[in-house]
Amino acid sequence: MIGALIYLQLQSIKNRLRMRLRRLKRPKYLIGAAVGVAYFYFFFFRNLFVGRRPTAGAADIATPETLLLFELVGALGLFLMVLAAWVFPHERAALLFSEAEIAFLFPAPVTRRTLIHFKLLRAQFAILFTTFFLTLVSGRFGQRGNAWIHAAGWWLILSTLSLHTLAASFVRTRLLDLGVSNWRRRIIVLSVVALLAAAAMRWAKSAIPAPASSDLVDLAALSDYLRHALESGPALYTLLPFRLLARPYLAPDAHAFLAAVIPAAALMLLHYWWVIRADVAFEEASVDLSRRFAERMAAARSGNAWHPASRAKKAKSPPFVLRPTGISAVAFLWKNLISAGHAFTLRTWIFLAFFAVCAGIPIGLSSSTEGWLLPAVGIMTVILMAYSLFLGPAILRQDLRQDLANADVLKMYPLRGWQVVLGELLAPAAILSGVQWCLVLLATATFSRFPEDNPIPLSTRLSLGAAVAIIAPMLNLVSLIIPNASVLLFPAWIQTGRQHVGGIEVMGQRLIFMLGSVLVFGFALLPAAGLFGLVYYFVRMLLGELVAAPLSAAVAATVLAGEAALAIRWMGRLFEKFDLSAESAG
Amino acid sequence: MIEVEGLTKLYDKFPAVSDLSFAVRPGEVLGLVGPNGAGKTTTLRCLSGIIPATRGSVRIAGEDLARNTIAAKRQLAFFADEPRLFEYLTVWQHLVFTARIYQIAQFEEIGRRLLAELEMADKVNLLPGELSRGMKQKLAIACGLLHAPKVIFFDEPLTGLDPLGIRRMKDSILNRAKDGAAIIISSHLLHLLEEVCSHVLILKSGRKILDGTMDEVLQKSSVHAGDANLEEVFFRATSDAKENA
Repeated sequence: MIGALIYLQLQSIKNRLRMRLRRLKRPKYLIGAAVGVAYFYFFFFRNLFVGRRPTAGAADIATPETLLLFELVGALGLFLMVLAAWVFPHERAALLFSEAEIAFLFPAPVTRRTLIHFKLLRAQFAILFTTFFLTLVSGRFGQRGNAWIHAAGWWLILSTLSLHTLAASFVRTRLLDLGVSNWRRRIIVLSVVALLAAAAMRWAKSAIPAPASSDLVDLAALSDYLRHALESGPALYTLLPFRLLARPYLAPDAHAFLAAVIPAAALMLLHYWWVIRADVAFEEASVDLSRRFAERMAAARSGNAWHPASRAKKAKSPPFVLRPTGISAVAFLWKNLISAGHAFTLRTWIFLAFFAVCAGIPIGLSSSTEGWLLPAVGIMTVILMAYSLFLGPAILRQDLRQDLANADVLKMYPLRGWQVVLGELLAPAAILSGVQWCLVLLATATFSRFPEDNPIPLSTRLSLGAAVAIIAPMLNLVSLIIPNASVLLFPAWIQTGRQHVGGIEVMGQRLIFMLGSVLVFGFALLPAAGLFGLVYYFVRMLLGELVAAPLSAAVAATVLAGEAALAIRWMGRLFEKFDLSAESAG
Repeated sequence: MIEVEGLTKLYDKFPAVSDLSFAVRPGEVLGLVGPNGAGKTTTLRCLSGIIPATRGSVRIAGEDLARNTIAAKRQLAFFADEPRLFEYLTVWQHLVFTARIYQIAQFEEIGRRLLAELEMADKVNLLPGELSRGMKQKLAIACGLLHAPKVIFFDEPLTGLDPLGIRRMKDSILNRAKDGAAIIISSHLLHLLEEVCSHVLILKSGRKILDGTMDEVLQKSSVHAGDANLEEVFFRATSDAKENA
């Protein structure tokens, strides 16, 4: 029977790979794959072929004392992970199967033990990939031939942890069946751990000289104390299995590895025996888990947030009353603000603005006060504003990226494409602008001097604040146009359809997209920036500095508005021709 | 009135619909039938302006869909097999949004009447996630009928409905036709089409292989007069087409 399950797993992988290779016939995937491969080559594989750069990993140059410290700290980390598996989870044991696997395997004459073996086998694929990845990112390949030691070490650690988590879930289920509640189990586990910790601390206090207060800033003295405390007394016995598990990874050479691998492998086999001997009913919980997983995946693929049934969503009140007649694009603003939730109602904005003014003015007025607070708040606010411009469009997706799954409905509406596109862009642009205006208020009130104590007059702050407030909405609109246009041009890159996309070519495409976004944004800003500089120069000469910034910002905002209008017209035409089913079919 | 002339839709070089021509007058109900992959849904999506046709012309209530897209879309409603709703809008908010899109000043009265007709009057504050599949379909129908369309397209309208829902849907289709709407229904449920449709069009591989009034189609394909039904006609027509091909 296990042969059929191995066949299922291998064929699934083979077909997935074949599908991805077939996708490379399309130039955009081929280019994406080339960029993805280049990225991996330059960041990870280059050292494999051309030799290691001199910055060797800590373990390779470590002294025996340092290695021991690493082993102890690693063991402590593993201990905490295992503890978490006993304390945090509250569900019954559930092995995650896909809905198709449940439909085929659960009614089939397959024993529970075979299902567990199938699950363990599938976990091995993930573990082997993670091992490979961890070995790559920790720069082990090409390093004095130790890559295989570290890969094997990672594999032992990950496999044993995986088995232990599974076994713990079986024991948890068994305890629940015996009437031991989750809280009772947690209290027992934490009590045992507290007792062990108390014993270890007591022993350390009596047997090891406590570090002096001057030692607290000395890293060497502290690590020495830690090593002694963990290597003797109750801590020694508590951490022993975890140290055995961590030891192969830290082995400096083949001889040490062979000595360390036998106890670690025995520990892993013991866990395997524990798991397959457990006879715990996991089917019902697995069905439930798989259903929830499928719902979450479906929600993610359609661009919606997933809400478990136990936390059903509540209807949200609209941000304003939508009248039945008027500009159609406003309907999309209204709809998408509802989607954004309670955080973006008018009341929230009034509160935020009020807070910015109330908190900012007293701080700003105390400009004579020396210290770091004032410049720090000011600089932080300005940094946040700059970040919001770049990160905002990635976070706020209440636009075409969210609604493209409903493209058929949108395209049926008696609206021009540009009306739909404009409407879809309004909500995130409005939210971002609201956030930035609050930050402008705060910055204007607080940024009253530079760290070098050079004061900034209120008039200058007001002038600059007004300039930022004028230009921010148009900057947001332009920065939001880029990902929305990308969705229409390359829907398969942005993952809006129902088909899950992944793989090295998609990673490459995303890298291209990120780079492209920055370049397009930069180009879009060029005419506005040029005109801003020109207007600022002349207005400053004629009317003074205070008027120059807001006026130049208004001119630059007009240029950006013009660019946005042209882009929205073009996107409207793209939207009218857009056919998601054709994209998915491809 | 729906007038279709030489409609063709190509995906790359693959013809999903080829040179399709027909007309549906006000009050008529056309049943669009065909095996899986025949091009029924593609045809309906082209007729409702969701995807552009590669060739041919479509007129909706006298308006050319390609030239006067907005005017044509104002006259039509398309109900997909799977109701597409905004998961964060309540039932009533869906109607408010639709009203603004179609600029329906008096939508409240119409909306309340439609919800009462569809037995959803007590569900105005619920989100789609809290509705059964049938209720979701009713909500999609309420949104689609809010602007009193003269042309209506149904793609598998009975999927997921209970027997009572099926009866109500049939009555609703016939009532809309009686009020003068031109309707096209795509379905695999041939007995439903026999009950509801005045006309039939059979598609295979994107091509029209038979059309006419229900009586004409039954007569054309019956070996012994009076013993044929749409199911037999469908099997004969599609197998003949296969042999001819």
